[in-house]
Amino acid sequence: MKYRLFGIVFILFFMAWQTLDGLVEGDWGRLEGGLSNLVVFFEESMWPPNWKVLEARSYPVCEQDIEFFCSVGYLGMMETLKIAFVSTILGFVGAISLSSLAARNLMPLYISLPVRIFLSAVRSLPSLIWAILFVIVIGFGPLSGVLAMTFYTVGYLGKLQYEVFEGMPNDPLEAGRAMGLSRPSIVMNIVIPENSNHLLSQLMFMFEYNVRHGTVIGIVGAGGIGYYINTYLKFLQYDKVFALLILIFIVVVLIDLLSLAVRSFVNEEGDVRKPTWLNMLIQARKRRSKSGDVA
Amino acid sequence: MSEDAILSLKGLVIGYDLPLVKPITLDVHAGEIIAILGPSGIGKTTLIRTIAGLVRPLDGTFHLHVGRRGSLGYIPQRLGLVRHATVAHNVSLGARLSVGWSRTMFKDRKERTFEAIRTLGIEEKASEPVRRLSGGQQRRVATARTLAQRPRLMLADEFLGELDQTNVDIVLSAVHELVEEGTAVIMVEHHEDNAKDFATRIWLIKDNHLHDYSLEEWLDIDESSWREQHLGEEE
Repeated sequence: MKYRLFGIVFILFFMAWQTLDGLVEGDWGRLEGGLSNLVVFFEESMWPPNWKVLEARSYPVCEQDIEFFCSVGYLGMMETLKIAFVSTILGFVGAISLSSLAARNLMPLYISLPVRIFLSAVRSLPSLIWAILFVIVIGFGPLSGVLAMTFYTVGYLGKLQYEVFEGMPNDPLEAGRAMGLSRPSIVMNIVIPENSNHLLSQLMFMFEYNVRHGTVIGIVGAGGIGYYINTYLKFLQYDKVFALLILIFIVVVLIDLLSLAVRSFVNEEGDVRKPTWLNMLIQARKRRSKSGDVA
Repeated sequence: MSEDAILSLKGLVIGYDLPLVKPITLDVHAGEIIAILGPSGIGKTTLIRTIAGLVRPLDGTFHLHVGRRGSLGYIPQRLGLVRHATVAHNVSLGARLSVGWSRTMFKDRKERTFEAIRTLGIEEKASEPVRRLSGGQQRRVATARTLAQRPRLMLADEFLGELDQTNVDIVLSAVHELVEEGTAVIMVEHHEDNAKDFATRIWLIKDNHLHDYSLEEWLDIDESSWREQHLGEEE
């Protein structure tokens, strides 16, 4: 079994390599010197990061006691977080309504199939294209960003959710059906609580995804930190871009830790011991469990 | 059909692709406790699932004379509990069906939920997720859910199995509480001794036939010849 799996992985890797070779048409020379170019670019243009992005802007005049709250980094990141938060929540609510209609174990085919097709259609447009569409329709600003991210979230989360619903154990559903619970009641009281761990995980992943993509849609004028990144790119201020990228990285890591803390309330592992912030950072629990010292 | 029949089976043929049992024609009356016995794979669970409306009968009909919504309680073999939800949430699913729309609906549901939880002796676990409970405690939760539902017909699939005597007593006293209110109970049971203790009627499925015995008839059967004749490899 182990050898067969190894063989399958090897064949897939070989096929991927051949495909890549076909894509570059055998011209691997372009990679030559690539790494040294990157090092030069990084050393001359990006390093050290310019932390002026965390200082107050010269205009408008800062009226806050702490300068940081008037900085490009803070204002841009807060707007991105707000766009991501609103669109994740709106998208989650929309997705959960649609995914419960799309799941084959909850609905008959004549309902689930059209909803699946609708979700595929929504998902097939990347968030960037949604953002361009909404910028055209309602103009520049965070509202375009919120609508673009919400639509994409519905399509993306909807698929993840109905796949989770379809994989849940059948016996709670059967008990609910036999008892005479209505379909909405089964979704609200059985399906959602039973899959709470997965749903929370997906919600946090989507929030993180929306924060990261908030930077991209900002570039087309849909608000957020991306607007500032785009401006600095235009003026070749790569050191400031690098500082903002570090800021995004820190926020993404914090969201990941928050996700772990939230999910610990509903997952099986959480029954053993709630994770502390420290052992989430250093993975101490994993090491202890390996040595058989789990409380 | 007799006056107080809760369920009528008329020429019911159960099975998935091929019939498992010859056509069944029977009535189930209020206050009866029926134990279904028979070797493994003979169709006991399929019969329960057919009556629960989860499997289409191959032929014939069954009629629940007390309406469908909320009047049928069902405990599947794996209990059908929402593992990530609390005990109180699971039990309230039953209360949701038994308490009609009114201004005091939410209060009444809560009262009925906690009444069932107290009856089953799991009040200190009420706010814990079901996944943290032992097998016996989970069976008590499933019983509490049915108790809160106050169904007219209760279907249970091997839910006394693997329970210690204390849990069996607690669960059965709750079942008897329902029966006193006129609920009929149909249980799949593997242990003949359990069946003799609580059932008023026995359905034995053997050789593609369902044999219907009252408890008295069942007890009159000579045990040794019965085992040889009916259960075969089971004992």
